[in-house]
Amino acid sequence: MSSKKVVRKVLFNLLIAFLALFWLIPIVWLVCTSFSADSGMNTSTFLPRAWSAVHYAKLLQSDTVNQFGTWFLNTFKIACITCLVSTFFVLMVAYATSVMRFKMRKPLMNIAVILNLFPGMLAMIAVYFTLKTFNLTNSHIGLILVYSASSGLGYLIAKGFFDTVPRSLCEAARLDGCNEALIFLNVVLPMSKPIIVYTVISSFLTPWMDFVYSKMILNAGISENYTVAVGLYRMLDRSLINTYFTQFCCGGVLVSIPISILYIIMQKFYVEGITNGAVKG
Amino acid sequence: MEDHLSEKSGISGFFSNFGTAVAKGDWAVKLTLLWWGAGYARRKQFVKALIMTALEAGVIAFTFLFAMQYVPKFGTLGTVQAEQVFNMATMKSEWNDYDNSFLILLFSLFSFVVWAAAIVVWMRNVVNVYRLQLQAEAGRHVNSFPEDLRTYLDEKFHVTLLSLPVLGVVVFTIIPILLLILVAFTNYDQQHMPPTNLFSWVGLNNFISLFGGGVTANFGYAFARVLGWTLVWALFSTLTTYIGGIFMSLLLNSKMVKWPKLWRTLFMVTIAVPQFVSLLLMRNFFSNGGIMNTICADIGLTGFLRDIGLISTSYIPFLSANGWAHVMIILINIWIGVPYQMLIATGVLMNLPGDQLESARIDGANPYQTFRHITMPYMLFVTGPALVTDFVKNINNFNVIYLLTQDVFTTTNQAMANAQAREVDLLTTWLFTLTQDYYNYKMASVIGIMIFVICAVFTLIAFNFMIRGDKEEGYQ
Repeated sequence: MSSKKVVRKVLFNLLIAFLALFWLIPIVWLVCTSFSADSGMNTSTFLPRAWSAVHYAKLLQSDTVNQFGTWFLNTFKIACITCLVSTFFVLMVAYATSVMRFKMRKPLMNIAVILNLFPGMLAMIAVYFTLKTFNLTNSHIGLILVYSASSGLGYLIAKGFFDTVPRSLCEAARLDGCNEALIFLNVVLPMSKPIIVYTVISSFLTPWMDFVYSKMILNAGISENYTVAVGLYRMLDRSLINTYFTQFCCGGVLVSIPISILYIIMQKFYVEGITNGAVKG
Repeated sequence: MEDHLSEKSGISGFFSNFGTAVAKGDWAVKLTLLWWGAGYARRKQFVKALIMTALEAGVIAFTFLFAMQYVPKFGTLGTVQAEQVFNMATMKSEWNDYDNSFLILLFSLFSFVVWAAAIVVWMRNVVNVYRLQLQAEAGRHVNSFPEDLRTYLDEKFHVTLLSLPVLGVVVFTIIPILLLILVAFTNYDQQHMPPTNLFSWVGLNNFISLFGGGVTANFGYAFARVLGWTLVWALFSTLTTYIGGIFMSLLLNSKMVKWPKLWRTLFMVTIAVPQFVSLLLMRNFFSNGGIMNTICADIGLTGFLRDIGLISTSYIPFLSANGWAHVMIILINIWIGVPYQMLIATGVLMNLPGDQLESARIDGANPYQTFRHITMPYMLFVTGPALVTDFVKNINNFNVIYLLTQDVFTTTNQAMANAQAREVDLLTTWLFTLTQDYYNYKMASVIGIMIFVICAVFTLIAFNFMIRGDKEEGYQ
């Protein structure tokens, strides 16, 4: 390798390192600030003036404003139920539209395309009036319904995967006397591990990443019912920010760690799902 | 008309089958028009006859016990105002038997949907009974009830699979959208809040006030401003993140990179952190008294900007002044959006037609030429549709705007303030504020319909354009 090439390679990697550094500044700031000894925002220096983990301890002890533990459990509960329902819905719709042939298949898929054009929030506003009429706002049931009821519309990625499962396998199973349900359960599902994992993680993450729906549904409720998103948002209220900013950062770190790990795993399975499909098809 | 049923799909096939069934069916089929179970009873399918009879009874009961309380009032949305009256018998103040406009609207709509479904079931039922008659006349086997049930795990398995998800979509997406469309034609707002107040139909008034008519022109003005910024935002945010994402994925996929996986994971961390954490953090990072302002003051940037007259305050109003906030939002969105686009672009780059690249290299093309003539057209072809959906998604990008500017940016423009809008609002955030803080449901619904129209028109035009220029075969 010529020395000119080496220099170019070093410069190239330095450029990427610089970009990565730039992209990570806010994350670094988040982590550093969470270890600050002050409760309010430090506006004079980038790094905290004094280091301490005391706010993590404070965050885990509930007070009138901060109930992080409860919020975390609430979100976890909502996420588990949403995950269960959405995964079933998505896989069911994907299998029906991908493997089976029936008269309403094309019309239903076209309707799904049109419905996906409506911003989700539009329907949610009407759902909000309705839930409010039945006193389901500020409750977790309302929020779970909002997250999972229409999840069947997000079937396209899973359908793309099922499309690549060789039809000859299904045909062989049918000749062996399997009915559609058995083919789905015993032939197609066992071959679809990457896409199942992807669907499970992505629907589990929805309630963790979401802000707008939980704000809408839980906004007027009591602190005990909040999810992490609404609770942390509340901590930055103008009257609270000076006492709770560092705790907000601690909460941000604590909730981001598991989510980031899951997110990165999910991406791996997503890529695996797509490339696997290409090999099989 | 022919005896057999057509296999044609679609609405016309459905109606022609129904016509055939009614015209050619025997007495049992004709009786099925009235008594849903008749045809099944005639073919000794008693369980099915029972189920259909129960269903019919259910629809009738629903109509008389439930729907009739609400549907007759649909034209007026209720006339009896809620009042407290003193009941002499119990010696207490009690609410009168008032009308709740919202419930009337909601349950009438619900009844219409149920009736529409009932009509479809009724027509299909007649066709099915006629099919049964044809089978029996031809001497073919007529399914017993367990056999019928078993088809729902086999050739009718899709019905089993789809019924729950479709029900969820109907109840939580389709009915709400229809409800929202209806609300746009009423005066449902803070002054007309059920249950204490009634609201009523107002025709196209809300649309007129959105387009600048009505008592005050504020809504028209605010709508034009917000729409303009929404489109500018969607265009810039889509283009910047798209170009940035391709650029970054090219960098990371270059053969010269050491540890590409490490870098990719580092960039991914920024999108894996929930937006309500990262954006709220940014908001405080760039706040008027925040750390970024301290740094800028220390290095003399604030003073310099004041000297050349760009700012008149002692701080840089990154997110709190017109113009500054708009630019900052787009810049911060690059930070959020580029790693995401990078992931997508990387997936596409991995599937690049390798033989084309190889032959280009053999022909002596330099890296720029390969990029210009092979990589870029391929990328555009594969990601073109995604570009359209990204644009639509950005029109509705609630998080970035709301989390960055809520409580920080306040408008100084009186006309905007009167319409409860701010210069940095997108149509979606405006709609959200209108419903959540001002209970102005009628205008929110109108804006919602406008968002749909804009998204739908844009998508249709873009996809038509792309289908016309379809070069699918070229890449396969």
